[in-house]
Amino acid sequence: MNLGAFLIRRLWQMVPTMLGVVLLVFFLFNWVGGDPAYILAGKMANPADIANIRHQLGIDRPLWEQLLIFVRQIVTGDFGNSWATQEPVSAIFRSRLGPSLMLLIPMMLLETATAVAVALAVAAWRGSTLDRALMAASTVMMSISLLVYIIVGQYVFAYLLGWFPVKGWSDDFWRNLTTYAVLPVLLGLMVSIAPSVRLYRTFVLDEIGQDYVRTARAKGLSEVRVLLVHVLRNAAIPIVTNVLMGLPALLTGAFLLERFFAIPGIGREIILAVERSDFPIIKAATVYVAMATMLANLLGDLLYHWLDPRVHLE
Amino acid sequence: MPPNASPGLWTLAWRRLKRDRVGMISLAVVVAYLCMVFLAFGGWIAKDWTREVGVNYAPPVFLPDDQDPTAVALVKPVAQPDQVDLYGLQDPLARQLAQIRAHDPVGAQQPIVARRLTLPLGGDKWGHDVLTKVIKGSETSILVGLVAAILATALGTLMGALAGYFGRWVDDSFNWLYGVFTAIPYLLLIFAIAAVLQQKGVSTIILILGLTGWTGVFRLVRAEYLKHKSREYVLAAGAMGASHARRMFIHILPNTSHVILVQLSQNVVGFIKSEVILSFLGFGVPVDVVSWGSMLNEAQNELILGKWWQLAAAGTAMAILVTAFSLLTDALRDALDPKLKY
Amino acid sequence: MINHMGRLLFILLLAVPLTGVAAAPEKVLHLALSAAETGFDPVMTSDLNTASIEQQLFESLLTYDYLARPAKLVPRLAADMPTVTDHGRTWVFRLKHGVYFAPDPVFKGAKREVVAQDVIYTLMRFMDPKNRSPYKFLVEGKIIGLDELAAAARRSGHFDYDAKIPGLEALDRYTLRVRLKTTDYNFAHAMAQPMYGIVAREVIEAYAGDTASHPVGTGPYHLVRWVRSSRMVLERNPYFRHETWNFDPGNDPDSQHIAALMRGKTIPQIDRIDIQVIEEPQSAWLSFGKGELDMVGLAGQFAPLALQGDHLRSKYAARGIRLDRISDPSIAYYFINQQDPVLGGMSPEKIALRRAIFMAQNDEEMIRVIHKGQAVRNAYPIPAGVAGADPDYRSVLDYNPELANRLLDQTGYARGPDGYRRMPDGSPLAVRYTSSLSSQDRELDEMMKKALDRLSIRFESEKLKFPDMLRAERQCRVQIRLSAWIADYPDGDNFMQLWYGPHTHENNASCYQDPQWDRLYERTLTLPDSPQRNVLYHQLARMLELKGVTKVSTTHIRNVLSQPWVLGFKAHPILPSVWAYLDIDTARAPRE
Repeated sequence: MNLGAFLIRRLWQMVPTMLGVVLLVFFLFNWVGGDPAYILAGKMANPADIANIRHQLGIDRPLWEQLLIFVRQIVTGDFGNSWATQEPVSAIFRSRLGPSLMLLIPMMLLETATAVAVALAVAAWRGSTLDRALMAASTVMMSISLLVYIIVGQYVFAYLLGWFPVKGWSDDFWRNLTTYAVLPVLLGLMVSIAPSVRLYRTFVLDEIGQDYVRTARAKGLSEVRVLLVHVLRNAAIPIVTNVLMGLPALLTGAFLLERFFAIPGIGREIILAVERSDFPIIKAATVYVAMATMLANLLGDLLYHWLDPRVHLE
Repeated sequence: MPPNASPGLWTLAWRRLKRDRVGMISLAVVVAYLCMVFLAFGGWIAKDWTREVGVNYAPPVFLPDDQDPTAVALVKPVAQPDQVDLYGLQDPLARQLAQIRAHDPVGAQQPIVARRLTLPLGGDKWGHDVLTKVIKGSETSILVGLVAAILATALGTLMGALAGYFGRWVDDSFNWLYGVFTAIPYLLLIFAIAAVLQQKGVSTIILILGLTGWTGVFRLVRAEYLKHKSREYVLAAGAMGASHARRMFIHILPNTSHVILVQLSQNVVGFIKSEVILSFLGFGVPVDVVSWGSMLNEAQNELILGKWWQLAAAGTAMAILVTAFSLLTDALRDALDPKLKY
Repeated sequence: MINHMGRLLFILLLAVPLTGVAAAPEKVLHLALSAAETGFDPVMTSDLNTASIEQQLFESLLTYDYLARPAKLVPRLAADMPTVTDHGRTWVFRLKHGVYFAPDPVFKGAKREVVAQDVIYTLMRFMDPKNRSPYKFLVEGKIIGLDELAAAARRSGHFDYDAKIPGLEALDRYTLRVRLKTTDYNFAHAMAQPMYGIVAREVIEAYAGDTASHPVGTGPYHLVRWVRSSRMVLERNPYFRHETWNFDPGNDPDSQHIAALMRGKTIPQIDRIDIQVIEEPQSAWLSFGKGELDMVGLAGQFAPLALQGDHLRSKYAARGIRLDRISDPSIAYYFINQQDPVLGGMSPEKIALRRAIFMAQNDEEMIRVIHKGQAVRNAYPIPAGVAGADPDYRSVLDYNPELANRLLDQTGYARGPDGYRRMPDGSPLAVRYTSSLSSQDRELDEMMKKALDRLSIRFESEKLKFPDMLRAERQCRVQIRLSAWIADYPDGDNFMQLWYGPHTHENNASCYQDPQWDRLYERTLTLPDSPQRNVLYHQLARMLELKGVTKVSTTHIRNVLSQPWVLGFKAHPILPSVWAYLDIDTARAPRE
């Protein structure tokens, strides 16, 4: 199947999934999602005020009409304004994406680089004490809750030792990257690196068992060369896919770090929106993240094909 | 069993596992925890964790005594119910109160219960014994992890089996469901499901975790079924008239059980950790139940107050179990998957 | 209704001084809010965090004196205090001359002066249904002709701002006459709210739909940068009129110290205010403790770190850090829904049940364990510092579990075989306590569980998101809850109206409808703050206790810590922020 046809087919397949996401979120949050009118109306509001606000927000219209509006919003990409602050939803997400990525990308790069290096090392010395020690250490590392890492890390490294600022964010890219993002990224790595090491180790071990590795060794290639060139090239396929597919989840998953370090990211925004029943933001977040997830999967498949042409696109 | 019959998958796996020292130690730790859970569940230990046995924030016994004098619990006698000015109003309960006073004057001294100044692992803000809380908390956390993992794994297995075995539209629809669940941001999925399950309690946490955690199992089990359904033994069973259900669950299932078991134990670990985050978001256990998650969230503010013992106790107890469980999972995977040779 | 108390405690003010140019170091105050702001259109504001910023951006006609205690009304945009005639029904305000709005492209480079018509426009905006104002209750039903205008707008969908109404008249360019329908001595307080800051019609109309992000006022600061729910930067308003710091310190030594430092300085002294939103109290506290910051509102749970009894711990005092400690004009009160099928009703056994539940609440333990001593027992609905308060009031619902249990025994709530009490008719009894999902509320759940355990009553917990909780409360579906109220203005009526029958489904959360109580309350409305009114207030408060409607529990204490280089700070009970009255000692402030 050629690439174009494949792309069209995959993109087409996204439509029903998206529809499912939209329906699920719409009904769940409409059914049980709370009524923002009671917050917006303030402390002395009477039922007429509440009705007025509900009318303005459009939540007194029939469900199907609201659903239609939602679908139109997805098609046009315009989710209107936040109910809590009147700010355009798109502006909110634009301003949140930067800080989220600032945490996410260094974390992903460091995590992948470290995890691949460690995975190759332990695979090279598989079964040895080093392997066991590293694996045990990484298991212990990931068994501690992120909440504990953050509470203790912020207290010890930022407050007691003063190596990092306790919290904060600025408008300056480099200052954020080199000052404010460092501690959160490192703390995030403490929990995220171990599972990757363990997973990549199995990918590497899978490859080491293959015939071509034995052939390469038989040709007299050095173990280092075998590992770095032959094994890594093939193990890279599942690794790359894994990294890509993990990205969208990270976008919303860093909310603990964002809250404790006062970083204006997407995860924190979503929690705030849920607390305030700010439905336009919830809708937009769902759609954006779902879209990102599906595109990441597609990209993963394409990369898979590109790295290993034997894999057929289907 | 004839003496020369070749040993089955499980026997072989057990033999391999027995040779794995780390695996065996982990197994021992996990079993020890499970025994603790069993004892706590049966009410033999840590039953009275709600009793306030120590002073507020009683330090652990091994700490040098640096009690802040303000931290010692003050036990005040009950105030005497004086006659207060009613500003000319009539008390609707005047008759009842008069009767009570006539029979038995209120205001006798309440027994003052002596509270301990130190506790084995310290006390929390109410003076609950942290050691007892950790034990009782393990019961909740481990049960939540186990039951939710079983639920998620069962759901994932069932759907994966149906999808992989029947293929076509069945497969398409389950894949669609899988796509939807993985595309929705996890955070929002949690909020949404929590909102639907109005009643709060341990069962809500289990359902949240179970209903969001099935996707990984589904993907793997489906792949296994795709692989197995055209194998000879399944085709043969079909030729002999075995029903679909029989082929799926009697013939194929045992051959995918190693995948399922590994997924199950991975989920247990993941869910025990997720419970902490759910507590942070306010979807934790109710107040009459204690879990590691509720303890860690309670202890959040205690660290900088210098009352680190609850954080340390719950954090350590959890770390040990999760480490042991993860190492056991590794050992199991190695033992069950003969393809991976060291 | 809104958990103002928690919010006040968490208004975390912090600051990171920055270096400036060698010649005149820029004075920067870095502050933090504990919860996200909403938006800076005052007419739509309902929360204290947002109001604290609007207090600096906009100016109302009146305000409260910085140093006078109890809080005292003084002119702000008005040139002097209004002339009140006709038994509090006719109010004449004269505006200061030469007050200009902060620069904005809408004015096309011209300086725009504030005139009486702007005040009329600002007041009208509150009744425009499009603006859905949370604070319209301060003018609703009061100004002659305004409600009719609102009614017409509801019908036509368009509010006629050009209409002339008898209640709002500009007598000349700087003079405004307000005519009220009935006597209202609290109208001056309404005109001192930060939400009633004066806006310009052309600005509002130019930014229609997005007024929240274009605040243009006459205050000492204007907003130069806003990253929603994360960061706000205020800078000195270049058009701000010349004002001099000249507050009367009275006899208070702290105030005299402040006045000595500040008197004669131009307002404002600080050039820039950088505000971040920090939700986690640990993060805010550590930031302050590290010395990066100037001020922090001490979250209750961290009080033992900084305080020993009522005083700052010596290690902080030695660093020159100062503590400002005031009692908030607020109450925390338990209410029981009088329309609830289980707990409501006026039969003796229902009253006994409610009073027993209230008597089982251990307020002292709550203060000690949960508030870490940062609250005081207050049984009267009107807290200290508010007109009508009574510090000597004694409750009939003080903690007394023994009497509570006897009362239940006496009225037929027998214990069943499981040890829990049943209803007099033998049916099961459980009490459902409602609270939000926050971790602070979890502690309150624990308190309630312990209280009900003392009575052998089964405890049930209902955890709701904040908006859902409000809805349940407004619809009279909550059984019992601990709620809080903080003064909008320092008058007892702001508190007593919480139990007024017609306010059911509004903020009478106990859904208490009692003609006897309502008639008595209506009589208080015709009286100014006076001994006669206090007699009625005492009867009202006692009736709430005797009928088991509510138990007022505690009043919070607000602790604000400031670094040695922050000059002139004194916590104000009513003003949401006082930043314009502060200064920074750049010689002492650390450089970055």
